[in-house]
Amino acid sequence: MRKWILPITFVCIISGLLLALQFKIQASQTPTPTEQRNEILVGIINNLENEISTYQERIAEIKAEIETIEDVTASYQDDIKYLQQKVQKAKLQAGLTNVKGRGIRITLDDNKSGLLLAPNDDPNRYIIHYENILNIITELKLGRAEAISVNGQRIVSTSEIRCVGNVILVNTTRLAPPFEIKAIGDPDRLEEILLAGEYDLLKSTGFPVSYEKFTEETPLEIPAYTGTFQFNYTTLN
Amino acid sequence: MWMPLLGLLFGAILGSAISFEIPIAYAKYMSIAVLASLDSVFGGIKSVLEDRFDGFILLTGFFSNTLLAAMLAYLGDKLGVDLYMAAVFAFGVRLFQNLATIRHHLISRTLRNLGPDKR
Repeated sequence: MRKWILPITFVCIISGLLLALQFKIQASQTPTPTEQRNEILVGIINNLENEISTYQERIAEIKAEIETIEDVTASYQDDIKYLQQKVQKAKLQAGLTNVKGRGIRITLDDNKSGLLLAPNDDPNRYIIHYENILNIITELKLGRAEAISVNGQRIVSTSEIRCVGNVILVNTTRLAPPFEIKAIGDPDRLEEILLAGEYDLLKSTGFPVSYEKFTEETPLEIPAYTGTFQFNYTTLN
Repeated sequence: MWMPLLGLLFGAILGSAISFEIPIAYAKYMSIAVLASLDSVFGGIKSVLEDRFDGFILLTGFFSNTLLAAMLAYLGDKLGVDLYMAAVFAFGVRLFQNLATIRHHLISRTLRNLGPDKR
């Protein structure tokens, strides 16, 4: 009966030893689910913090970049403004902008009633020729007109005024009477020069011509030159 | 009669008292060893109740089972298959079978002692 006690006890001792050892390992090495979760959360938080610091560095870099660019643009700002003003002025002088201001408007038309009264006379004596317009414009330029247009065609440095058959070409656009010449400048001076020149001649020979002065309050409007300037043969010297 | 229980307690205290710790890498082998020893304990008790007890068979069974299970686990490690699970499963099943047999014997014995007339 008692012969089984010893072996069983021996096995029991080993069992107890192993159980205790295994329990100790489990208790010390295996983290509880909560601990595991916490570890995972800590890992996530650490990762996010790293990410945030990376992004913050990037933000700081970009801010520094922006500042540099702003400094550069600030230093160029004045230059850009100056150049823009110069460009604007050059465009104004070249006749590439719509302009308005004080000035004078002259209307010329053929002397149809004069022709009717003298049907046997030379009809050429009763129509407006390109020379008349050219002369008036030259006179207006002499009166320091700053912008001139004929029937809406802006007179620029390359503008031609020439008759082709029975029409007049200005800026390669065909014009027909009545002609309306606008000029921006000192109205009184322009009037003075008109009355001493071609205009007066036309008036005295019976052409239906008239003029109107425009003040600051009701400014004269002159459109921009819409063509192009071609310089194929000219270079800077 | 109380010797095995005292032995179990003694072993547990000894295991807790010593500062030696088995590395986590061998936890698998430890779990198999625990199961093998428990299996031996219950197998021994069963054989006692069945009057077929042999101390030599018990001890050799204990060591050979543990060794075989450990080898199986090692082989599983090398092959990348959790073979130690087979040992755990086999020991677990045997444990429950032994427990059931022990319970069966104890109950029938108690009943016999209480009322021999019933049989």
